[in-house]
Amino acid sequence: MLWSVAWKNVWRNKKRSIVVIVAVTFGIISGVLLVGIMEGWVRQRLNDAINNEVSHIQIHNTAYLRNEEIDLSIDNPDQILKSIDTLRQLKGWVRRTKIIAMANTPWANTGIIIYGINPDDERKISDIPGKIVAGGGEYIGSQNQGSILISDKTAELLKLKQYILTDTLISELRALSFPDHVLNKLETFKDKRFRSPKDFKAALRKELVRKELDRYGQVIMDKALDYRIRNKIQITISDLQGDPVQGIFRVCGIYKTTNTGFDQVSAFVNAPDLAALYGGGEILTHEIAIMLNDIGDADAVGEELGRIAGGNTVSTWKALAPDAAMMNDFMIIYYFIFVGIIMLALAFGIINTMLMAVLERTKELGMLMAIGMNRRRVFSMIMLETIFLTIVGAVSGMGMGWGIASVLGKTGIHFTGWGEGFEAIGFSSVVYPVVTPGFIIFTAAMVIVTAIISSVWPARKALKLNPVEALRTD
Amino acid sequence: MIVLELKNVNKVYNSSEVKVHAVNDVTLNFTEAEFVAIVGPSGSGKTTLLNLIGGLDMPTSGEIKIGGTDLSSLKPSQLIDFRLRNIGFVFQSYNLIPVLTAKENVEFIMTLQKWPEKERDERTMELLNAVGLGDRINSRPARLSGGQQQRVAVARALASRPKFVLADEPTANLDSKSATTLLEIMEKLNHEEKITFIFSTHDPRVVKMAHRVITLEDGRVVSDDVRELPS
Repeated sequence: MLWSVAWKNVWRNKKRSIVVIVAVTFGIISGVLLVGIMEGWVRQRLNDAINNEVSHIQIHNTAYLRNEEIDLSIDNPDQILKSIDTLRQLKGWVRRTKIIAMANTPWANTGIIIYGINPDDERKISDIPGKIVAGGGEYIGSQNQGSILISDKTAELLKLKQYILTDTLISELRALSFPDHVLNKLETFKDKRFRSPKDFKAALRKELVRKELDRYGQVIMDKALDYRIRNKIQITISDLQGDPVQGIFRVCGIYKTTNTGFDQVSAFVNAPDLAALYGGGEILTHEIAIMLNDIGDADAVGEELGRIAGGNTVSTWKALAPDAAMMNDFMIIYYFIFVGIIMLALAFGIINTMLMAVLERTKELGMLMAIGMNRRRVFSMIMLETIFLTIVGAVSGMGMGWGIASVLGKTGIHFTGWGEGFEAIGFSSVVYPVVTPGFIIFTAAMVIVTAIISSVWPARKALKLNPVEALRTD
Repeated sequence: MIVLELKNVNKVYNSSEVKVHAVNDVTLNFTEAEFVAIVGPSGSGKTTLLNLIGGLDMPTSGEIKIGGTDLSSLKPSQLIDFRLRNIGFVFQSYNLIPVLTAKENVEFIMTLQKWPEKERDERTMELLNAVGLGDRINSRPARLSGGQQQRVAVARALASRPKFVLADEPTANLDSKSATTLLEIMEKLNHEEKITFIFSTHDPRVVKMAHRVITLEDGRVVSDDVRELPS
């Protein structure tokens, strides 16, 4: 009966209880969404770091890690790869030549790391083949001699990315129902070539008013973008004797990951093409990247490989992408901080409401004590009321939060306006919130703990009542 | 059979300026099935005496025994449980639990005493029928008149068959008709259940129906009249 009385007491002052329940609901929704977004970002960063950049494990010559010289390649890589092939957890491996280079076009130059790869092997373990941008050519093929795959960022730095508004394009925009007054403004820089997004954006800003820019700017930018595919890039590296050598590569494709920092310095060519440039007749292996079926095996496999790697260093993804590893490890702390702050705010609201409820029912509580309801039962009744009140809000909050996060997990939340900033630190501008069952259980436990803690003060207040004095109150 | 004994009971309230002797050397015995009215002017100590008898307050000196148990020998937690099993309360302002129905209010004390459901149901219906509310068992207090609420309170007080019922001004908030009905019901239940009723009251109708009238003045018993009432 105590449970029934407590439940009915929750609905005694419906308006007040609903206000608290709504507050708890919104608190939990915001907590679930905040943590879901955070979890989504961390997972995306972790997945991108592993699938695009570092894989699960990498092996390098220890000396190469200190000084990235061309001759510090892995000795006898075939023997190591033979051992790797015996791993039952193995998904795939690639061997790469990795050389610091200078890339030049007639208009600009930039420092890059050039990877000599086997494109067919890369397809098995890397997501980069799937990151070719629209209108950005194609992934490098093993038969495409002299081809180079560069990133959107490198293309921008080398001025291989241009913006041109042609007649055809303006017609396309008209077909998209762009208003004439906007199209007329665009006529002023028709056929003019802009070599950077910054310049093109500045030109648009000059012609279009703010409202037009907000509404049509991004579409115009996307449509006007033109990569100079098949353009030549001169690559300068040091050969095995330390002398500079140059080679010409043609751009076959443009890729874009969520990490501008990685993109800016990473370009890919066929390993034999690079070997022909540095000479010596042998394809050097500076890096072996290994992908496992399960990320959880990385540490154990890393240790196992460490025993057979000789003078080479075996690094797991945690050492190779420390930012992603740290965020992954800190997620549980983020959980505690976010949920803790929300629970603290809720606790004050709940305490306030329950203290009011106790104060209003002084006479009734006095009567209950007078007729023989003992302190344990009075305490339990107030505690149950608090828990019920909180749990109703928590259940609706978690349900709605989970629902919203699930929908957003499919559609994604687009932070397009801040895309450049996010991508500069390796995060996607589109985040897909992830709400795990573990988080729901954790939040539910925290809500119950908060409700119990919040109930102590009002319940103690009720216990301190003197039945005789309480019965005298009006 | 004596159900309640008071021996040289005193209650003194000490404030910083004055010392109030609210109950002064009261010695009384109450036997089974008595219908007693405690009367006296305001401030004469009626409510204080009722609080002492009900174990809601402890005397400064003296002894109060209920069914042979000295209340001062009980720990606070034992005293609450003792009240639950031995004393029924009827308050001036009904004090029902507003979120419970009439039936649930009557059942409440039996539930606290962990009565089996079947016995609880039977006793509840027996009492609600006895107070004339057998057809209002599912009504909440807000849907009942003052007189009906007080009848539910009487049924609740009697539910667990206490040794006696303390009723503090039970008719004070009722109209004349409701008060008379209530008193008739209480007298009938007193007779049928053989449970002692002790009233603190100003109401002449209660005094008229009481078998024994104790008059208090300045905390002292100035008269204790047992009357032979026409049957």
